[in-house]
Amino acid sequence: MKIYAPEGAVGPPAACLAPSAPVLAGKRIGILDNSKPNAGLLLGRVAERLAARTGATVEIVERKNAALPAPDDVLARLAEAEVVLTGSAD
Amino acid sequence: MADPLETLEVTSDDPDAVRDAYAARGWGDGLPLVAPTPQRVDAMLTGCEGDPDEPIATLPPRSGVATRRAIAVNAVLAGCRPEHMPVLVAAVWALTRPEVNLRGVNATTHPVAPLLIVHGEIARSGGYNAGLGAFGPGNAANAATGRALRLILLHVAGAGPGSGDASTQGGPAKYTYCVAENLGESPWGGYAASVGVTAPSAVTVHCGEAPHNVHDMESAGPAPILDKVASAMASLGSNNMPVSSGEFFVMLCPEHAAACAAAGWTRSHVASYLHERARMRTGDLRDAFALRAWAPWQEALDNDEPMPVTEHPGNIRIVVVGGPGKHSSVIPSWGMTRSATVPVGD
Repeated sequence: MKIYAPEGAVGPPAACLAPSAPVLAGKRIGILDNSKPNAGLLLGRVAERLAARTGATVEIVERKNAALPAPDDVLARLAEAEVVLTGSAD
Repeated sequence: MADPLETLEVTSDDPDAVRDAYAARGWGDGLPLVAPTPQRVDAMLTGCEGDPDEPIATLPPRSGVATRRAIAVNAVLAGCRPEHMPVLVAAVWALTRPEVNLRGVNATTHPVAPLLIVHGEIARSGGYNAGLGAFGPGNAANAATGRALRLILLHVAGAGPGSGDASTQGGPAKYTYCVAENLGESPWGGYAASVGVTAPSAVTVHCGEAPHNVHDMESAGPAPILDKVASAMASLGSNNMPVSSGEFFVMLCPEHAAACAAAGWTRSHVASYLHERARMRTGDLRDAFALRAWAPWQEALDNDEPMPVTEHPGNIRIVVVGGPGKHSSVIPSWGMTRSATVPVGD
């Protein structure tokens, strides 16, 4: 007996990830602090170590609200970086 | 036109067998499922007009394309009838309004679920329960339509527990959450018209918690009844406390609503009174939430001043629901979301 699958098609993604940089030395790394608890602490420490180990330039960009899409000015600042780190949750 | 839906072979249309076949693929809500055969889905599609394969929404986080056919498949699975399809199509459309913030609603650790409120003519013609026991159980339209909307979120939107939905505890409202407005016993007319939607039928989606009961059998006038409502709204654990733009849906039972109206109070008066009475000490809120999204004027309040639990009376939405008795309910929101009311059938 044939029945339908319930999911439907997947639409085109709004954006896709760029290829990873093979070497971080000399790169500009943007770090997105999404304002979740301890995100600034965790990502700030990551930024310090990345800068020390690779010589990369690291900038931490803060967004005020993790529950809404990042505003345009935050995205514009991150777009100046060649590598972006984010992903801190609760 | 979207890609046609995929099919699979099952050995039986027994609801348990369909549930198990779906579960093996990570689908379903854990309950037995009506087999979505092409014949049943075609019959379901007779309940709405338009191209069955036209994309009408793209639902996050999966970016799933919701066509009428995909909606109909999930409606069949849930046990809907064709007359429920216009409600589901409108609900899906409402959920894609940017102010609803469906990506956040689906992905958060909060137990939020979209409450679907059915207004007007289709509440009657579709057999929805607005009266005694409206939040359930017992009514097929409420139960099946709410379940279908959840299945659409699980399947099309990809909001499965752990994969697209990070809700820490989940919640019973994530199985089915649909109710009709008791227009016949609303002393203030319909809710949809009060927010500018004057179509004969409409739906509202409000992404919030499960209802919190408000019991008042003692009071004849509005103030003491609404003081109890205000008490239920002022809860330190609610997401509305750190997010001042969040809405509360106050579902007044007909008897509580009648007591307010008999004293000459309008829907707006009720909301204004609740805004005045549902307050907490600013310092207590400040101590409780390092991360806040308050209006600037709220941040300026001194610690000993009372803080309204939402920044504007317009965020307090009054809907009449239920039957005889003196129990109303409060439904706080997830916070970073706004309700949406849209016409059915347009």
